Amino acid sequence: MKKTVFALAAFSVVGLAHAEIATYAVDPTHTFVTFEAKHFNTSTLRGRFDKKEGTVSFDRQGKSGKAEINIDAGSISTGVPALDNHLKSKDFFDATQLSSVKFVGDKFTFDGDKVSAVAGELTMLGKTVPVTLKATNFNCYTNPLLKREVCGGDFETTIARTQWGMNYGLQYGLPDSIHLLIQVEAVKQ
Amino acid sequence: MAAWRSLLVALACTPLPGLHAEPVAYAIDPSHTKVYWEVRHFGTSTHRGRFDSVEGSIEIDREKGQGDVSISIATASISSGVPALDAVLRNGSFLASASNPTAYFVAKQLRFDGDRINALRGEFTLRGVSRPLSLKASNFGCRTDAELKREVCGGDFETEILRSDYGSTFGLPFVGDKVRLLISIEGIRQ
Repeated sequence: MKKTVFALAAFSVVGLAHAEIATYAVDPTHTFVTFEAKHFNTSTLRGRFDKKEGTVSFDRQGKSGKAEINIDAGSISTGVPALDNHLKSKDFFDATQLSSVKFVGDKFTFDGDKVSAVAGELTMLGKTVPVTLKATNFNCYTNPLLKREVCGGDFETTIARTQWGMNYGLQYGLPDSIHLLIQVEAVKQ
Repeated sequence: MAAWRSLLVALACTPLPGLHAEPVAYAIDPSHTKVYWEVRHFGTSTHRGRFDSVEGSIEIDREKGQGDVSISIATASISSGVPALDAVLRNGSFLASASNPTAYFVAKQLRFDGDRINALRGEFTLRGVSRPLSLKASNFGCRTDAELKREVCGGDFETEILRSDYGSTFGLPFVGDKVRLLISIEGIRQ
């Protein structure tokens, strides 16, 4: 009898551990969304968003997860202040009215125990459109400074900005297609 | 009369080869010229940043397939999006911006594919250390800018360096040694 209780207890603990969903808080100093846009089919213009926050939870055994990242469009940074101001205006992000850009990913694809893709929805300018991010370099490590597990990697996708109603400059040859490169590192809570 | 004629012919002929052989000078447009860097963090995510203050000039002699590229980068203009990190990057064990405020890339060897530049070979100076460096070019093209009403040429250039080659050892090996440099350049015809 005693043995059975022990066995059951041991079994349920292991079961719980396997089913346990670990929660990670996005490290804003190692999490950035960078966009790339071709300028008249010659040089590539890059920019990033400096203010963001988010949480990621994932279950390696159950191969599922959820990521939610909020980005302040008003924190856009290209290194050219006049361009930043134009990008914050109604022509592009309308950052005073609708400053939040949100990605919610709830369909995680795994290759072994590494995340290889995250599908979800990207909301910008009040419109929500499905987006799939391809993941590379996914890895977890123990950060020696934080003494905690950190998981992260690189994610990328290409979007057509007109899907969110961002149409400015198409007639002048500014591209519709925007490449997004997303660095994410998140600290286990 | 005949002499007058030959003088005209001579005058008409000389400027042409002269024009063709003449290198065309372009001034770098700082609002469309940036040096971006990428480095791996703990073998995991790719950390990106840029240098905001880049100046320089380019001369291209398409007939001869030659040119002269000179770019200077203000090392203190590094921008990672994290001000505290920028301060660390400017310090002695990384960029040593106080003693080495400028990094330089100079190249006299330009390789062309038709009239498009597809590679540059020159020398990169960082922290006062100069080493040979080649840049691969893509998307090189010229257009007449609608606002400036001048020819603008530009493209993307990329290379990889080992920062330890230049004495930049901060954070090794957790912050990668290999740094990918992505350089967007546009130059306005002078």
